[in-house]
Amino acid sequence: VISAPATRTDGRPVVLTGLASAALLDGRGDLELPREMRGTVVECGGVIGQCVRLTGAWRIALRVDELETTLPATRVAGGEIPGGWSTEHHWNDLTIVQNVAAASEVPGVVRSLRVTNRGNAVVDLRLTSSFRPVLAPVLVEGIQPHRFALETRPDEVRVRQRAFGLSVRWSVAPSFLFVNRASWRGGHWTGRIDEVGFEHSLPVDPGLSATIVLLIRGGLERDLDVAGSAGDRLLYDPEMAARTVAEADRAWTEAAPRLSFPDAPELERGYGRACAALRRLYSAPGDGMTGLVAGYPWYAALWCRDLAWLLDAVAWLGDLDWMRRSIDTVLRYQCRASLPVVGGERGELPMQISPGPVFFYGTSDTTLYYPRLMETWLARTGTTELPNGWADALDRVVEWGRARTDPTTGLLRNGGEAEEIAEATAQIAHVRYGIDAPDTTIWDSADRREHAIDVQVLWWECLETAARLRGARGPPSGSADRLAASLRAMYPWPEEGYLFDSRRGDRGVGQVRPNALRAVSGGIFTGDDARTIVARAARGDLTVPWGVRTLSDRDPTYDPTAYHGGQVWTIATAWLADAALAAGEPDLGVEVLKRIATTLDTDGLGANECFRGDRPEPFDSCFLLGFSVAPFLTTLFRRLWGLEVDARRASLGVRPAFPDGWSSARLERLRIGAGSCDLDWAPGRVRVRWSGPGPLTVEAGAGEVTLGPGATADVPARPSHELS
Amino acid sequence: VRPRPPTGWLSLLRQGLTLGVDYGTHSLTALLAVAETVEDSVYEAGSLHRTADGIAFALDNPPLRVGAFAELQLLVDGVAVPAERIRFRPGEGRPWRSAATVTPGWPLEWGPGDRTEFDVRVPVPDPKARVCVRVELRTYAIPPLVWCEVRAVPATGEAPG
Repeated sequence: VISAPATRTDGRPVVLTGLASAALLDGRGDLELPREMRGTVVECGGVIGQCVRLTGAWRIALRVDELETTLPATRVAGGEIPGGWSTEHHWNDLTIVQNVAAASEVPGVVRSLRVTNRGNAVVDLRLTSSFRPVLAPVLVEGIQPHRFALETRPDEVRVRQRAFGLSVRWSVAPSFLFVNRASWRGGHWTGRIDEVGFEHSLPVDPGLSATIVLLIRGGLERDLDVAGSAGDRLLYDPEMAARTVAEADRAWTEAAPRLSFPDAPELERGYGRACAALRRLYSAPGDGMTGLVAGYPWYAALWCRDLAWLLDAVAWLGDLDWMRRSIDTVLRYQCRASLPVVGGERGELPMQISPGPVFFYGTSDTTLYYPRLMETWLARTGTTELPNGWADALDRVVEWGRARTDPTTGLLRNGGEAEEIAEATAQIAHVRYGIDAPDTTIWDSADRREHAIDVQVLWWECLETAARLRGARGPPSGSADRLAASLRAMYPWPEEGYLFDSRRGDRGVGQVRPNALRAVSGGIFTGDDARTIVARAARGDLTVPWGVRTLSDRDPTYDPTAYHGGQVWTIATAWLADAALAAGEPDLGVEVLKRIATTLDTDGLGANECFRGDRPEPFDSCFLLGFSVAPFLTTLFRRLWGLEVDARRASLGVRPAFPDGWSSARLERLRIGAGSCDLDWAPGRVRVRWSGPGPLTVEAGAGEVTLGPGATADVPARPSHELS
Repeated sequence: VRPRPPTGWLSLLRQGLTLGVDYGTHSLTALLAVAETVEDSVYEAGSLHRTADGIAFALDNPPLRVGAFAELQLLVDGVAVPAERIRFRPGEGRPWRSAATVTPGWPLEWGPGDRTEFDVRVPVPDPKARVCVRVELRTYAIPPLVWCEVRAVPATGEAPG
């Protein structure tokens, strides 16, 4: 099978982000980042703006007289600076300090190079900045356009590819321009472009310094004329970009809860790592969109399934305004009429959104996540009425689900979405493309038709939530109960002590996948049934020391390099932790959480999307994926601390699942409505300090206490082994 | 359960109007730009031409997905061409490689923006007839088949451009 590529991919990736931009680099000086992707090495470095990949690798070459070199070849030091990345380079008598930052002021990346001449003679340094334009939305994963329109303007060069464009600006005007390494005198140029280059002359007197600033920004071509003055400010004050990012990060971090686990310091470190990773995914790319991108380097757009998992964590971290705006963004693109050309059915929520707006539908589960997120937002903020537009959106979600529901069993049907999109678009293209994916669940390269277990759990949660939120206007009473009864009757797989992964026709699909754990987390299987399912999932054919596989290695189709057919995914590992804690197995749950925390803390593993199924090595993996941090964060709050927040009723439930032997744990700044509380746990009690405007009732399994504003009280708590 | 999508230009017109009304005209511009980017960036327009013993063409990008492809199959008018009759290369002056050598151990590694020329020994009886060339690829990293289909009348003589 495919082995790890020999090409250099060992450098630790660096991702710098602003709210609408990202820089991807290997930290050696240029914006280049060769990474293994789908089994081959792909250059992932460059600039992303507004979810559009603007450039490929962006490199700087140095020349003095006849001597030439590259920026990475001269690197002597490098590292993180607040909001950016800095490298120091020595070349002959020159010292160059470069700072790179992704801007928040404009969708782009700024590089400043301060050159100091330590010699005795004037040096005329020639810097050649070059890149390959890409100008394709990141959703078009494998495509790099070749034809572009190029235009020089008085103080910039613009590159355009259909509706997408970029602008290159500088503080020192270029002496020469190059297209495909041939000199170009400027003006207008249209055709195949593999590289655009700019040579800048920078004379530096002995003992003095000179600085050049380069800015590449863009995304939507129509937005290039907007915010031009912000670009000017960046050219005069290039450090502003890093300062802005650092200040926003600091404010966010200071507002987030603080966790302390003296008995499990690795969990504490993992929490810090996960929060930092999650923060890098925050995105407001334009067109009024707010959310978090799914990951880097190749999923830098708002993928709404991923966003749903991320928003659970965002809610626990208390950023409820961002959560509200993110939900609003997704609901704005809810399909209001059948749109087969983009894969949409009435009521469906989009698979993916990016500025343009560009949006596509066609997943079997994304739509089902959002009712519960709506309820979570209400419960955390204390809002009793659904915000404007949410009630209708909720009704349309339920209608969408009911149209796909088997009237007898109540099971929701998944599969066939990609096929329908291909069929709908066949007539409008003279060159056709397709991926023969029969199904679009969370494991969208696996065939899990027709009734995947996790999709049923989502549908059940959706019905339950809609009934609570809409009351008499919600789904017919009994819908959720009938579905739960079908799940309990039709999915148990006695030979395995597990659940079928799906049902096709009238038979269960006998594949051991981690998705069955979602039925435990959802509360559909409880008690001994839940513990049996968790114990089965924890066996070595599915669970290995570095996580949980997407498919048991005993399955005849198992392949350790197949994305959803044997690779280890951290989100699946988090599902095991969550289900174990829900089933009353705290030792197992904490052990699995520690594995994730250790992975997050290990260079080279970190927040990777997935790993080979046969060894702890990232393969075909985004190096930073929200899926790999958000469910871990949520499980710490929801399951390990056992928190149930309902600010509408001014209530907090605390049912910690800390293993026997733990002596203390602390949580500060948990947001509940307009207030926040601190929790100090010791065996037998939780000490609560409440800072909200009204009373708060806290229940911890062995008693209930109501606290007034500013009060502190001890609440009796049950030991975790009495929970189930 | 899911109704079959309606077909025909009227349906497309209706969908276009719906997009414009519900999401603004910018959505039409942007979605069209994405569709055109995909359509024009893979098959090198006009590259399909007749050769002495078959056809040749070029792709400027892998179809939709990059990767190490362990399987490569090519069909002409729905008929699979034996792998030993297909060869490919990254560009002029580079060595040809037979499709028969593509295996999991020696996959076809195809990154974004990489141009690849194909040369296929296959009988094309009618010089004026349109042919349908379909390239199918499979990577073990993500198993579902990825394909690209081009329908065109092959030009005669050397490859254009």
